[in-house]
Amino acid sequence: MAQGIIENLITELIKLPGIGRKTAQRLAFFILAMSEEDVKGISRAINEVKEKARFCSECFNIAENEICSICSNSSRDRNKLCVVEEPSNILVIEKSKGFNGLYHVLLGALSPIDGVTPDKLKIEKLIERVKKNEIKEIILATNPNTKGEMTAQYIRELLKPFNVKVTRIAYGLPMGADIEFADEVTMNKALEGRREM
Amino acid sequence: MLHRTEGIVLRTTSFGEADLLVTYLTSDFGVVKSFAKSPRKIKSRFGSSLEPLVQSRISFWGKEDTSLPRLTQSDIIHSFQSIRDTLSYFLKVSEIIELTLHFIPEREANKEVYSLFLNALYNIENNFNKNLAIIHYKIKFLELTGYVPKLDACGRCGRKGYCFYVAHGTILCETCSAGMVSSARLSPGVVKLYKDLLTWDTTKINRIRPSKMLLSELSSIIDMHTHHILTKPLKSSEFILLLSE
Ligand SMILES: [Zn+2]
Ligand SMILES: [Zn+2]
Repeated sequence: MAQGIIENLITELIKLPGIGRKTAQRLAFFILAMSEEDVKGISRAINEVKEKARFCSECFNIAENEICSICSNSSRDRNKLCVVEEPSNILVIEKSKGFNGLYHVLLGALSPIDGVTPDKLKIEKLIERVKKNEIKEIILATNPNTKGEMTAQYIRELLKPFNVKVTRIAYGLPMGADIEFADEVTMNKALEGRREM
Repeated sequence: MLHRTEGIVLRTTSFGEADLLVTYLTSDFGVVKSFAKSPRKIKSRFGSSLEPLVQSRISFWGKEDTSLPRLTQSDIIHSFQSIRDTLSYFLKVSEIIELTLHFIPEREANKEVYSLFLNALYNIENNFNKNLAIIHYKIKFLELTGYVPKLDACGRCGRKGYCFYVAHGTILCETCSAGMVSSARLSPGVVKLYKDLLTWDTTKINRIRPSKMLLSELSSIIDMHTHHILTKPLKSSEFILLLSE
């Protein structure tokens, strides 16, 4: 009996990314040992996220209401828009405290061979926002890989008719890394993106 | 068992938190799918070596029958970065990537396809007529895999003919095609271009200087043919069409 319900929990936990059978087992026994209050807290939070979370109707960030907390924050700079692939990217950029503008989430990146065409992403909605609002700069912060780069180039083309500055986040070496281990493409991009000091 | 070979990345798919499934066209094992641990992390030792089109020396590890060996090393031989830097070039190459993935079974060595693909990438990179390089690859690739349409003579009797019948994958003469509806009528120039592309080596096709019209006429025949075999158009071709509208 007990074996059955623990096994059940393990099977559910394995569905999470980065969790193998061993880790799932460890977590399951840890949960078993936790206070009832703590465990209920976890399960409530999980339920809530599924019941209440939705996409912001402006930027497609995760939101609790129609408009997300960033879009509805009046102290954000409405002239700058940062375009990202996924809502999770916003968390990382926010943590950097290097940006105080608004965001636009594409919910993916273009991939011709996988059939991910522009109409499958929130690109049209981005153009609508540019037409409607006082946006002066768009920062393309899609991933520095082939899909992200294609997406950035495609959007760059679409934005040409508009009077808006379009920038791309810098490429190059990660902080703390050693040049000795950089591959040729990364090194090349770092050289191209050098700046005067 | 550890395998070492040379490969070109055809496709990558995100897997789990920071992992990647990498599909290679290799010189010794044909198409190989492999699993790479954490390349999407900023400080991954794989760096940019797993991006599509990168040619590298790779090692992968797995039991003989495993469907997903683990990629243990990849050292760039040639990055083909300039193709990835331009959306329109990458879109063109996406078509031949997709075509290759559709026709080449996994783990079936095909050195000719490997060198054909590699040469096509070099041609596209070296400021060459890119549409010509793509159509050349498509035709030679279909020939190597046994799917090339017959466009130089009637596929039944060998007599002259200029009407293509997609359901038969060939040109048919008037006698052999009695009562059938032709899919397209070929100009004599297209037949000549097709013959040239089949005979000429990849390294020499830059000597052919076809007009834009001939190239697009031949392209549409070849695309119609592959569409018929696959029973659907290539996703990348649909993508390109969408952008050109
Ligand atoms: Zn929002
Ligand atoms: Zn005939």
